[in-house]
Amino acid sequence: MKPFALKFMATGISIMLATGLFSSAWAAESVKVTVNGMVCAFCAQGIEKRLSKLPATKAVFVDLKKKVVAVEAKEGQTLDGKTITSEITDAGYDVVRLETVQQSVADIQAAMKAAK
Amino acid sequence: MKQMKHRLRWMLAPVFMAAAALAHAGPMGFKDSTMAMGDFSPNWREAWANHALTPRDALGAGGLYMRSDDKKLTREFAELTYTRLLHRINGEHSQANFWFVGGAGNLRGNDFSGSKTMLAPGVSADYETTRFYASASVRLYRAPGIKHDFASVRTGFSFYEVDYDETQPWLIVEARRMRGLSEKTEITPMLRLIHNRYFVEFGINNMKQGRFNFMYIF
Repeated sequence: MKPFALKFMATGISIMLATGLFSSAWAAESVKVTVNGMVCAFCAQGIEKRLSKLPATKAVFVDLKKKVVAVEAKEGQTLDGKTITSEITDAGYDVVRLETVQQSVADIQAAMKAAK
Repeated sequence: MKQMKHRLRWMLAPVFMAAAALAHAGPMGFKDSTMAMGDFSPNWREAWANHALTPRDALGAGGLYMRSDDKKLTREFAELTYTRLLHRINGEHSQANFWFVGGAGNLRGNDFSGSKTMLAPGVSADYETTRFYASASVRLYRAPGIKHDFASVRTGFSFYEVDYDETQPWLIVEARRMRGLSEKTEITPMLRLIHNRYFVEFGINNMKQGRFNFMYIF
């Protein structure tokens, strides 16, 4: 019984490790931007529209209260910070902070809603 | 001919409706966007559409129908417009804008024959947070022998903050005045609703006339 239990545990750990490695290899990547001047949804839609049109964009999330815009990259593609800054500036706003995070837009949205 | 004119007016009505919202959230959209604006009340019907060529410049066209308080005098102004964002201040929780709006076009009236060339330069400023709004605008409507200078101030507050995808209600009060057609100051409390690309306002002024404004970004 003991060797069987050990084998079972070892198999379980191997599966968990493999799953973890596999999922990290496919982890979503997003760019989180803090934007100044974003006070109204009507005006800020320019940001969403312009960023959604980028070829590498999978999803966009705008949080007016926290002044944050999150852009998720399509699988296997990378978002360019300079392009994102330029698009937000063309929409009429100022970028004050930009960071790349290993999270999907849905995860960022859920985390920000939970924090409210 | 009369029927044609009537039909044309109805066809142009949505365009005319789009213009008086000038001083509400900004008279132009973001770069490469097209924006329609309208303002409708019995004595003032205005509509614009413009296209933002750059983040700061937009070209457009619009029409304005004005009527005196006694309903005897009318004006119809069709114009080409240029809008310029002169300066923008993006704060952490606020935005302030300074705008120039210039218009040139054809003016017709029921107290003179033919038409006159009208020039209509104006400036406006607005300040906005997620809960507070204030703006002021001045526009000169000038043609030979005609001065219909216009001024308005607006202020208001939103009832609560909302997420990006929710509808936000505001209470806005506007006072506006135009020389030559009305000697009264029109005061209109309005309910403003903003939801994504939709922006509408409706209210009743101190002359008990209904008013409806809208803006839409394509």
